[in-house]
Amino acid sequence: MTTLGARVRSIPSWQVALAGALVALGFLVAAQARTEAPRVRYTTQERAPLVETVVALQAQQEALKDRILELRAEMAAAEQGAAGSGALVSDLTAAVEAARIAAGLVALEGPGIVLQLEDSQVPVPPGESIAEYRVGARDLRLIVEELWLAGAEAVSVNGERLVPTTAFVDIGGTLLVNSAYLAPPYQIAAIGEPELYAALVASPGFVELVRARADQYGIRISFAEPDRVTVPAYAGTVTLRYARPPAPDATPEP
Amino acid sequence: MKQPRSQLALAAIALLLGLLVVVQLRAQQAGTGLETQSSQDLTLLIANLTTRNDQLRGEVADIQDQLDAMAAANARGETSVGRLRGELERARTWSGEDPASGPGIRVLLFGGVPAAAISDLVNELRNAGAEAISIGGVRVVVGTTPVGAPGALSVEGTPLGPRVEVMAIGNPAVLTGGLTRAGGLVAQLQARYEEVLVEVTPLDVVAVPAAGRSLAPVRGVPRP
Repeated sequence: MTTLGARVRSIPSWQVALAGALVALGFLVAAQARTEAPRVRYTTQERAPLVETVVALQAQQEALKDRILELRAEMAAAEQGAAGSGALVSDLTAAVEAARIAAGLVALEGPGIVLQLEDSQVPVPPGESIAEYRVGARDLRLIVEELWLAGAEAVSVNGERLVPTTAFVDIGGTLLVNSAYLAPPYQIAAIGEPELYAALVASPGFVELVRARADQYGIRISFAEPDRVTVPAYAGTVTLRYARPPAPDATPEP
Repeated sequence: MKQPRSQLALAAIALLLGLLVVVQLRAQQAGTGLETQSSQDLTLLIANLTTRNDQLRGEVADIQDQLDAMAAANARGETSVGRLRGELERARTWSGEDPASGPGIRVLLFGGVPAAAISDLVNELRNAGAEAISIGGVRVVVGTTPVGAPGALSVEGTPLGPRVEVMAIGNPAVLTGGLTRAGGLVAQLQARYEEVLVEVTPLDVVAVPAAGRSLAPVRGVPRP
């Protein structure tokens, strides 16, 4: 022990520092090589500012959505606070809250399943399109439709709640749901009856989808059945610019 | 002699290390699939995110106005019956619990239309900003999915028949343009399904009914 201690002490400190730095360097080189490996990387000069703009816009969007949820919570709290001031007001307040829940403006928690979709890791054969080996807007939409048919009552994709105005859009190699740009892995959370999973995997449409996308192209689909599934609130616009209730004068007073 | 050389080596290693840390961090920061997109796709994405962020800003301003109006009404000691009714109407019209009417378009599809074509159409209408949609007189709500073999389609349990009528409320010019532009959905459908005919008509007034089922969650409970 003493001899070893003496030997360690005899190693100059710069050698220790150098050894440490070299180890770190090795890790970084390895990490860098792995990051570079999977996909073709565009290296043109004009792309960096574009990527930065997208990242900045995404950050803005996150802040805006948080603000919307905050303001809605503030409004609901103010309504609840005023609800004591009469039967009509408290009935209306309860009806508004129920309508918001039905519209997807309130986060829900319940039994359900979570599906995960990831791009294929199969090398794309020459002459074939890489798009077929990626999870596209249509893949997500078809999976979600199968979930609805299997009895799901609330669904979100990567935290974006599906509502009556939700569209799934491919933009080049990227994917938009509601206002958000989503990136893989795609996690689809669905609340429904405990038989949701069994109903989904028994559906001929779902089986066909798995055959066509997973078996043929290597799109990776996996499941989880947690005790509770959370589906967040929709944090987008509910403003109607064209749709109105038909003949509002004819609506009987509640 | 030994001391300056070792310092030089350390400096070089430190420089390299620093560069690699920066490169690695930047790669991870942008590790959201963006680094694999072309400049053209990124430009398109920026345009979309900008538009949608503007809409979200509008929503923030809208809710803020409502909150201010609420506070002002409270200060005057007014009841909030009118505001609550307006809010109720808006939420129910938007979700489909109430019927709706407004300007929009009618899309007629003839001849062996597959269920997938109808859901492609609904998705495209939503993307073009449709605010309320019906298929064969059935209101499309969250989860409405057409099913069945071509010619024997049904939606929410209602059979559709051979001619499918889809109504959508929204800006008629924008909705029509979104569908009928070159390479748009109508062109895609007619290329994919030769026997399918699609007819798009802008209308001043389109009416869609209320949903035929309850939209209240059965298993999900609101999260505090």
